[in-house]
Amino acid sequence: MNFNLFVSLLVNGLAMGMVYALLAMGLIMLFRSAGVMNFAQGMMLAVGAYISYATQVQADLPLYAAIPLCLASYVVFGLIFMACIYLPLKDTKFPAAIVVATMGTSSILSEACTLIWGGEALSVPYLVTNGEGKSAYLTIGGVSIQWQYILTTIVGVVLIFLVYVLFDKLYVGKMMEAAAQDKYTASLIGIPKLVTIAITYAIAISLGCIGGFMVSPVTYCSVSLSSLQLRAFASVVIGGTRSIKGAVIGALLVGLVEAFATVNLSNYKDAVVFILLIVFLLVKPDGLVRSKIGDKA
Amino acid sequence: MIEIRDLHCYYGAIEALRGINMKIEDGAITCLIGSNGAGKTSTLKSISNVVCRTGGIIYDGVDLSHLRDIQIARQGVIHVPEGRGVFPGLTVEENLLTGTVNWHGLFGKGRYDQDLAEVYELFPRLQERRNQLAWSLSGGEQQMLAIGRGLMGRPKVMMLDEPSMGLAPLVVAELFEKIVEINRERGITILLVEQNAKLALKVSNYAYVLEQGCILLEGPAEELRYDPRVVSAYMGTGAH
Repeated sequence: MNFNLFVSLLVNGLAMGMVYALLAMGLIMLFRSAGVMNFAQGMMLAVGAYISYATQVQADLPLYAAIPLCLASYVVFGLIFMACIYLPLKDTKFPAAIVVATMGTSSILSEACTLIWGGEALSVPYLVTNGEGKSAYLTIGGVSIQWQYILTTIVGVVLIFLVYVLFDKLYVGKMMEAAAQDKYTASLIGIPKLVTIAITYAIAISLGCIGGFMVSPVTYCSVSLSSLQLRAFASVVIGGTRSIKGAVIGALLVGLVEAFATVNLSNYKDAVVFILLIVFLLVKPDGLVRSKIGDKA
Repeated sequence: MIEIRDLHCYYGAIEALRGINMKIEDGAITCLIGSNGAGKTSTLKSISNVVCRTGGIIYDGVDLSHLRDIQIARQGVIHVPEGRGVFPGLTVEENLLTGTVNWHGLFGKGRYDQDLAEVYELFPRLQERRNQLAWSLSGGEQQMLAIGRGLMGRPKVMMLDEPSMGLAPLVVAELFEKIVEINRERGITILLVEQNAKLALKVSNYAYVLEQGCILLEGPAEELRYDPRVVSAYMGTGAH
């Protein structure tokens, strides 16, 4: 493997890892605070991508108008998702009901997108293009890297940092964390549970949609983006099911392993990812990062 | 003053409280004693509106019975739950800060330095452990943390559910001194639920005895302490 190939695989792997990390962070936030394993999380990639297509191609808006409009739509979509899934089922005695509801929502969204935009994969413009509308490349010392991958990595890092700031530095993040750890006590001391859960949904769903916004120029925009959900699940299992930090590490690992597997094993890259998952389930079923809450003897 | 009129509480088909009437005087310590399953915790949960209940709960002229749980906390009625309910993955100081949410809201920026200093003055142990995660504290420290977090909410009424549960006698004695201090020096009204009747009656001004969802006896704590019915049923033999 020469150096050029190595660098481009590294960047590709990091960028895809960031997309998986955005999905996985959303999964964990919903799981911790609302107890919901969201099977529609992968579909958020597709929703994010279609909204991006609608604003950038159909409405033909320039980027500076399309980006804020997309972000606002993602947040609103997250709140609608919460209103449809969480609110009707929050007092259910069957925890599986919510899981099934997320699966059903995934199908509904998939069919709705197909009805509106058709079944064919649509192309979404790259964020940085050359004169002919193809992706622009950054060339350093003879190594060419697609700008889209670099930007995806940067966006991923920034969002991971923002989530870190939210939970580690901001008062509202501490309240969300408290409500996630003990809902009953949280309501006794006056934490508005509904608000913290709404914020959680808005952020978790938006993270997935932003992942779709960034990845769709490379993968094309179609409902099959939702299959990347499995990569996010793998990341969560590898990283530890309750830790956002673990999920990010797991997602980057999955992205990199997948990228390097394409060199000699491109037909088997799915298999390689899931062999990695199986190895972790056998060797380290708790995940890489343990919960910081220990057991007291 | 909190006035409770004809309070009923239900868990499905089970009626845990069967029409109780109570008055909790301002600035006093009122205790609620009784055996397991008598309805002590249900009374507190009913006041906080986290269970299904009917009846009137009037606090300073405000009808609490139609308010939601977080609105009741905003009125300054703070419930320190049984089993402490500290947030295990937050540090001691972060746990204390969560207590301020009821007066400055989720996004507001309250000035809580003074409140924090007062809690640390009351419980110096918490200051020593301020950066430790709450799960790693001892039971007594967790109870101090739960009470401290309640104080951060600037309560007018504090409802303490079994603060002595699972703690060593020396720790309990220390804790009860602090509870009396909170009441005397800060003028916070306290509604204390306890299994340890002897101790509860010693620190309280007024007491209610609950049995099977009804109030069996009530009176000044000084009198109930020597009431033969209370002594034989709740204090074991030879207790005075």
